[in-house]
Amino acid sequence: MWGGPLGISIAPYIKQSKFWTRTLTPFAQWYAETAGYRRMGLKYDDLIIEEREDVQKAVSRLPPKEAYDRIYRIRIASHCSVLHKDLPKEQWVKASDDVRYLTPHIEEVVREDQERAFWDTVEVSKKSGH
Amino acid sequence: MLASATRAASTRRLASRARHFATVTDTSGFKIIAADNGQSTTSVSFVVKAGSRYEPKPGLAHVLRNFGFKNTTQRSALGTIREAELYGGVLSSSMSREHVTYTADFLREDEEYFVEVLSNILTSTRFTRYELEESVLPYVEAEATEARADPATYAIELAHAIAFRSGLGAPLFSPPHSHITIEDVTQYAKNAFGRENVTILGSGISQEKLSKLVTKHLSSAPNVGVTGPQTTKYHGGETRVTFSEHGQHAPHTIFIGYGIPGQPSAELSILNSYLSTTPSLKWSTSSSPLATGLPSETSAKPVLLQYSDAALFGVIVQGKTPEGVTEAGKTVAQVLKNLSVKEEDFKRATAKAKFSAASEQDSRSGHLVAATAPWVNQLFSSTEKLTSASVGKLASDLRKAKPTFVAVGDIYRLPHLDQLGL
Repeated sequence: MWGGPLGISIAPYIKQSKFWTRTLTPFAQWYAETAGYRRMGLKYDDLIIEEREDVQKAVSRLPPKEAYDRIYRIRIASHCSVLHKDLPKEQWVKASDDVRYLTPHIEEVVREDQERAFWDTVEVSKKSGH
Repeated sequence: MLASATRAASTRRLASRARHFATVTDTSGFKIIAADNGQSTTSVSFVVKAGSRYEPKPGLAHVLRNFGFKNTTQRSALGTIREAELYGGVLSSSMSREHVTYTADFLREDEEYFVEVLSNILTSTRFTRYELEESVLPYVEAEATEARADPATYAIELAHAIAFRSGLGAPLFSPPHSHITIEDVTQYAKNAFGRENVTILGSGISQEKLSKLVTKHLSSAPNVGVTGPQTTKYHGGETRVTFSEHGQHAPHTIFIGYGIPGQPSAELSILNSYLSTTPSLKWSTSSSPLATGLPSETSAKPVLLQYSDAALFGVIVQGKTPEGVTEAGKTVAQVLKNLSVKEEDFKRATAKAKFSAASEQDSRSGHLVAATAPWVNQLFSSTEKLTSASVGKLASDLRKAKPTFVAVGDIYRLPHLDQLGL
């Protein structure tokens, strides 16, 4: 996948500008609501493709409670999918609960991988002082 | 003329070999001990009073030791290793019941980098849960498993537990299923990594230089107060543990010993070297009373472990069969019971003890010995007070206490303490 496990995102650039953040936030919230994953009891980070090594490592680093809840949400969602039905409205994930619980771990793993790649290919030059 | 020239040359040689002895200074709360004898490599150690005797939960000290050189806020564990490789340095850590030590050995001009790496352990290790699980606990477990696979090491661990119960009795190696959480480690490190608990040792680096680097990198270290050891009491007792590997009994092992509360005396070192079965010349038998009269395929070895406020002294007997160990144990018990040191043996043992103490002090880790083991110097300072009678008295005093007895192996055939006649 392009852009690593989290894909390509222009969000960091939008966040830099006050104007664009203000303009696009309502649209982003509307989009997340309409996408429908919250109606199946999922959080956004549950949708990240996990069939790759770095995401697997990030998932393994979740605290036990969070790892359990993640699996629970995914099972509920697959059940919803089988029934072709959304959850009752009171069980939808609220926007305030839809936090990026996995992203920080993925970013950490990506940083580690990049650092390893750097050290594996580093070119050493002699310091002039020695 | 030739004679005077040689004399001049030898004086010169003497002058250049004049040693700089280590001095202790107190730099912003850290004790710094450094000596520069002109070596081409430098070694710096951070000795933290965080050994297993201080741990609130068994295995914490072992985990803390393995958290050395891991992710810090300045650089990652991988970065530390790769950079150290580029500088050509060696990073290592070790532990005892009293101290956890982080050491860096490196070429002379690289002290700036390595002192920073060592300082970062104290000030900015990140202590993350995933690192504990991914790269600390597996090593702790492997080391602990390896240690438990050796019946002699295992016997000595058990002997400590019986002799001192808490404090020094805590296991050096993490026991299996110790359930250590990252919160435990963080708290333990916070208490241990204070100014008062850290001694910094340097060899091949001058005192001023080391002090300056320490002030520079450790200015943010907290004051936490000295970790005070609880007073050690000797209890003694008997324990028997089945030990087998791959269905085979490894060497059957018994430990017969005594704990001595209080600062270890020089007489103990002499007694230890009197009984030492390591011959001074390879492939010969030593003159130790423990070396004679043992059945074949058995061995007896005195063990002396000295701590700041107690010592554990005893004999490890190992053999292929439990019967052989029983016989050998009886011989050892007889030796311990009727211990009297002849004047000639006493002189030999004193010389041997002095030599091994001195040669240890000469080694790289010697400063540590000098800094943390004052009893070593007693061997040299109080020679006239040491007599064969005082060693004999020590031996008879030992026997008044309840012995510590550990049997590791086939517990149904290994002897009990009363069968040995002690």
